[in-house]
Amino acid sequence: MRYGFVIDLKKCYGCYTCTVVCKAANHTPKGVDFAKCYQGEIGTYPSALRQMLPTLCMQCAEPECLAVCPTGATVQDENGIVTVDRDLCMGCKYCMVACPYGQRHIVPEWENYYPGAGDDLDQYQAYAKATWEEKNGYGVATKCDFCRERLKQGRQPACVEACPAKARYIGDLDDPESEISMLIRRERGFQLNPEFGTDPSVYYLPAR
Amino acid sequence: MILRAQSKWSWSIAAYLFLAGMGAGAYVTGVVADLAGWERPSIPAIGVCLGFPSVLIGCMFLVLDLGSPANFWRAWRKPQTSWIARGTIIISIFMILGAIHLGLWVWPFHILDQAADCRYLLSILGALFAFGTMIYTGILLGALRPIAFWSTAMLPLLFLVSALSTGVMAVILIGTLAGVAEEAIRVLEKADILLIALEMFVLLFYFQATHRVPESRASARLVLAGTVAPSFWIGVVCLGLLIPLGLELASVTAAEGSGATTVLGTLCGLAGGLLLREVILRGGVLAPLKAGRFEYALTNP
Repeated sequence: MRYGFVIDLKKCYGCYTCTVVCKAANHTPKGVDFAKCYQGEIGTYPSALRQMLPTLCMQCAEPECLAVCPTGATVQDENGIVTVDRDLCMGCKYCMVACPYGQRHIVPEWENYYPGAGDDLDQYQAYAKATWEEKNGYGVATKCDFCRERLKQGRQPACVEACPAKARYIGDLDDPESEISMLIRRERGFQLNPEFGTDPSVYYLPAR
Repeated sequence: MILRAQSKWSWSIAAYLFLAGMGAGAYVTGVVADLAGWERPSIPAIGVCLGFPSVLIGCMFLVLDLGSPANFWRAWRKPQTSWIARGTIIISIFMILGAIHLGLWVWPFHILDQAADCRYLLSILGALFAFGTMIYTGILLGALRPIAFWSTAMLPLLFLVSALSTGVMAVILIGTLAGVAEEAIRVLEKADILLIALEMFVLLFYFQATHRVPESRASARLVLAGTVAPSFWIGVVCLGLLIPLGLELASVTAAEGSGATTVLGTLCGLAGGLLLREVILRGGVLAPLKAGRFEYALTNP
């Protein structure tokens, strides 16, 4: 099976819930967003148009990050999810420059969310820091993994579960009968920047 | 929408690219002088002495830039597809050969040094891997698809010519300071004039190749007229190309060269070589995300 995502740009109204709930679920440090949203704008008033673009790791079938990784730290599991083995990564940043979608992050150290507070972490931030250190650590590449641990428990990724517009779907791209495969076929789903030959597993449905 | 350049690789990577290229270029200069039968131990010795240590210092900059410097040894693991791993192997072999070559002067290995065949074999092998060291960095950057400014066949050529030129200049600099015979310096200066002229052409074609996609056009704008422009025009063009070219032309045409201008010209040229890497890295604009008619510039590049 190959996990895939569909994000319906018709439904998304740019509330950033995915960004925030991802932060809460993955305890990402300051400045790191696994589910970043971009604002797009074309034209000028009165014919200007805006469109949000929520992103996450595209879990490409042909990942650039995996091709350029010199240590073999980047691996693709049997479900198509790309992860980093922190015991092999040395933090060369090649994958960060190679990923066309900007989905790779290296955290040098935990930075306090509150400016000027130094090392004085409140209990919530201390918990987030401990969780981050346990799962990801510092000086090595980290990334979105479609909330793999939640998927193993039969739950949906945090961003899918929380999306108030129900604009996000997860499913099996290999199964032509799955909800996401049907959506992609019926509504002309497209991938971001197919010219890079990465074959992303995240599809978008056009807004209009 | 303003496209932005990558910020992951900056001055320490530029220092590495420069030192690795310069060291390999100096080594090739020394080896060619040795094969041409120049008097040892002057120019050949200086070239070989500069090679291995410069590359080693360059690699230290690279290692310090890693997220986990203590784990640098992991870099040898996957040479199938990654140019960092391939480059690590090339540069390691070059450093081993360079270190052996240096070691030939140390007792008791000087016996091997006397045997020219053995030394020449080592020189040719070392020069091969020196060329690998000069070229692979361009291929490494060129393998990155989202940065069209780097994904061009001209970049390895640019790095190669610049590496040879800065290598020759480093040898001229040390040779002048060490008081090597002037005739040898003049020959090297003539060679460097050709290399600088070639580098100017390569640079011209390098920018000509940026017209293809919006992100590479943005790179060209950034480098030629944007925030990187002062480094490019003052650093790369004036310091790196025009000043050394002018001073070397004056030196080879004058009846009697002056050591001070030679030192000044080569120092400017070396600074220009370092800034060339810096400019290329800072000009690496990332492709926008495209969704239908909308384009989105990456905001955390």
